[in-house]
Amino acid sequence: MSEFRPILRPVLGTKQAVSSATLRLSPLPEGTIIHVLARPGEEDMVPFLGSVAQTAAHAVRPVSPGQWFIVGEEPMPHKEMKSLFAALEPRASGVDQSHGRVRIRIEGKMASRALSKGTALDLDPSAFPVGQSSVTLIGHIAAHITRVGSEAFEIIVLRGFAESLWDDLARMSLEFS
Amino acid sequence: MASLVPCPNCGRRPKEEFTIKGAALKRPAAGADASEWFDYVYLRDNPHGAYEEYWHHTSGCRRWLVLTRDTVTHEVAACRDAADGSRLEERT
Ligand SMILES: [Zn+2]
Repeated sequence: MSEFRPILRPVLGTKQAVSSATLRLSPLPEGTIIHVLARPGEEDMVPFLGSVAQTAAHAVRPVSPGQWFIVGEEPMPHKEMKSLFAALEPRASGVDQSHGRVRIRIEGKMASRALSKGTALDLDPSAFPVGQSSVTLIGHIAAHITRVGSEAFEIIVLRGFAESLWDDLARMSLEFS
Repeated sequence: MASLVPCPNCGRRPKEEFTIKGAALKRPAAGADASEWFDYVYLRDNPHGAYEEYWHHTSGCRRWLVLTRDTVTHEVAACRDAADGSRLEERT
């Protein structure tokens, strides 16, 4: 047996939430993120994913044609994830990304103003309503953005980029805090 | 440059999100002779005007797109997902 024991630490655990009356930036719990990839030709996947994932605890976020993230606040037990993956087959395959990607929340009246400094995505509620997701660049880092409330966004980013993105977002938020 | 690209999956996005993958050409049949493959791999027309290129939406939907762009005005006439419709390789 190897002596080496990996310890999982929340990557943004040491970051201080940026908080003011008009903007709040906070790390979200490292719960569950499952990347779902549909087989070519599969249609009407969203209701299917909703029923398979029991969407009370998990939310289905579109990524690109035929791809979704299922996210949850709590880590999913291995057995539960195995049966979820089995239920997806043969229409789709699931990949556990819970340790590969990190979620960040940015909310408040100035959240979209701060985000717009880094992305060309049109964040106006008419073009990007609640529930809409998109993959885009924030500065030089690719990230998945979802509007989760009228003034709240969830950002999913690869774990290795999470600290850099956090520092960028904190700097972008400075004038509002 | 064609600085805003109308991705059929994501909407208008800045060119920085994309990787240009070169001319969208008809691929020769597998058994075609060497000179045909040489043309396909190395020879380009470099036209003054309309041009079909593969663009990859690297920092977006990560789909391969076929973009019709004017090399003089940089206007984008059309942009489609490379998987849509008849595949380019099968067109004559
Ligand atoms: Zn796209």
